[in-house]
Amino acid sequence: MIKISNVSKYYGDKKALDNLSLEIKEGIVFGLLGVNGAGKTTILSILNGLVDLDEGNIEVFGLDIKHHKKDIKTISSIIPQHLAFYENLSVEENLDFFSKIQKATKENYNRAVEINSLSPFLKQRASTLSGGQKRRLNIAIGLLNNPKVIYFDEPTVGVDPKNRNEILDSIKNYKNLGLTVVYTSHYMTEIEKICDEVAIISDGKLVEQNSLQNLLSNKLSDNVSIEVIYKDILKTLKINLIDETTILTTTNELSSILELLNSNEVPIKQIRYGSTNLEKHFLEITGQH
Amino acid sequence: MFLAMVKKEFLLVLRDKHALIALFIMPAIFILIMSIAMRDQFSTKNIEFTLYIKDADKSEMSRNILQNISKDKNFIILSDKKVAQFVVKIPRKYEKNSKNTIKLTIQDSIKNDQIEVFKSMLSKHVLSARFNSMAKSVKKYSKKASDTLSSLEVSTDKLYKVKYNDSKLIPNSTQQSVPAWIVFGMFFIIIPMSTIYINERKQNTLARLNSMNVSILAMTISKSIPYLIINQLQVWIMIGVGVFLVPFFDTPALEINGSIGAVFAISVALSIAAIGVSTLIAVSASSSEQATTIGGILNILFGAIGGVMVPKFVMPESMQKIAELSPMSWGLDGFLDIFLKSADIFVVMDDTIKLVSFGLLSLILSMIILQLRITKGL
Repeated sequence: MIKISNVSKYYGDKKALDNLSLEIKEGIVFGLLGVNGAGKTTILSILNGLVDLDEGNIEVFGLDIKHHKKDIKTISSIIPQHLAFYENLSVEENLDFFSKIQKATKENYNRAVEINSLSPFLKQRASTLSGGQKRRLNIAIGLLNNPKVIYFDEPTVGVDPKNRNEILDSIKNYKNLGLTVVYTSHYMTEIEKICDEVAIISDGKLVEQNSLQNLLSNKLSDNVSIEVIYKDILKTLKINLIDETTILTTTNELSSILELLNSNEVPIKQIRYGSTNLEKHFLEITGQH
Repeated sequence: MFLAMVKKEFLLVLRDKHALIALFIMPAIFILIMSIAMRDQFSTKNIEFTLYIKDADKSEMSRNILQNISKDKNFIILSDKKVAQFVVKIPRKYEKNSKNTIKLTIQDSIKNDQIEVFKSMLSKHVLSARFNSMAKSVKKYSKKASDTLSSLEVSTDKLYKVKYNDSKLIPNSTQQSVPAWIVFGMFFIIIPMSTIYINERKQNTLARLNSMNVSILAMTISKSIPYLIINQLQVWIMIGVGVFLVPFFDTPALEINGSIGAVFAISVALSIAAIGVSTLIAVSASSSEQATTIGGILNILFGAIGGVMVPKFVMPESMQKIAELSPMSWGLDGFLDIFLKSADIFVVMDDTIKLVSFGLLSLILSMIILQLRITKGL
């Protein structure tokens, strides 16, 4: 469990985090939502020991961050938003390098390669990978030390819908491996898809923390969200796409939308009734109308 | 862990073709070009002048002058006055009338200092002929006076004994060029080093490494070692160019008169200084373009004031004092002491200490800046 208690952080006169308290349970996917400058990256940087907190305390799996920063770094891993590896090295050379840095076992190495489907690209120079493959390498490096907790800082920025879905699916699977995942994203639908619990922060303060189920059921409506497998034709259909693979509709229109999808051979992955758009809720409570 | 970091850095540099060209090909070409171009300026061979002589006097004295000139290896007598550097015309009645003077016509491209040297060398033969003529004239009056006049020595070679101050050997163009362009080339590590460093910083790879418990000190040392080795390779390859390649172009080979230990000491010290400056620029600049520009300008400035482009001994005294501010000048002095003055490790100790101190200070400052940048997410 990660326990953040009354944490404040200042950058000069600017208060980046203001008496923030959070609890992240073990083995869940935890979503951290907030607009740019809300303090998401600052929290991740403090949790990773890159930045020191000014006030308050943090415990990561029982380890006090002020006294066990090194130990905490060995059980955690961050997946930066930028592609933090070496483009001029091959996939294998990158993985070898970061493995040796973290003294990773062969088993962890193989698992990171397998989960991220990198086997066919091991000998390929990283600069020649596609955007999605690069993202997967970026994630694989973070798994090499077999972390207990893994922090994702907007890992799907600039990724095409197909690879985005693959990455999101793999993140959901980390929960099954016993990992705790902290996930930040601008895309509300991604949070809706993969997170068990969500914290919304604004101006360095916690606005709301709840399970995704509660957040959505509290706002029950006649909304229906349909998750589909991505097809180019989706862009040309008269539907309300809230991201590349999610259609928002109402119970009244559901049958016609399903017919439309069927006639265009778009496979359906999931239909969620009574759903609301998390973005709508987020905007309501943070006042970002 | 440390070995993995060193290996990674090596792979990155070796795959950067532009960097390899800047580090190895460029200084080698500079050494070749400058050694050949400056060959004559540093030549210890006889000075040679081409001349055309027109003897209108046809006297014994003028024939004597012609005979003396033809025996002198410094003069090459040509039959075409258009291509000769100097046209020497001995006028009619030159012997009879001592007021008559020899006329010199000189090509426009000849510099004043060359003209003075030519006149001085020619005077030797003219005066000798005059003394001989005078000796013959006075012989009928006094044999002793005649003998005294005949024995007068007008050659400066026998009048002066030349000894070089503080040096056993005379430098040649290769001995000047090799150390200069070694020093300049070594500082060019700034290009690959800053490019890799800034990419790592910008893409948060350094932050990622830091989150993997890699300290700033470990990062700095592991980055320094490959460049230290690359710099050593540069030094010995450039020395090889001076020793083995330059002689193929009819230019004197490099001679290492001092100790190899001293070469090693000064080159390692220079490397630490170059790595220090490169790291400092890499952690301070906000983009690789900015680092390359700042680094390039700084290199040229260090080189210009440090005696790389213009040898320090031709600079005015005030400029020579300014040159002392450049770390390139400290390294160059060390190399020149070794190549020209047979210096050992103790002679170059002062320059070595200055370079190491400068490099370490730069590295410490770089680490402080890098730590601040990582913690502030810059």
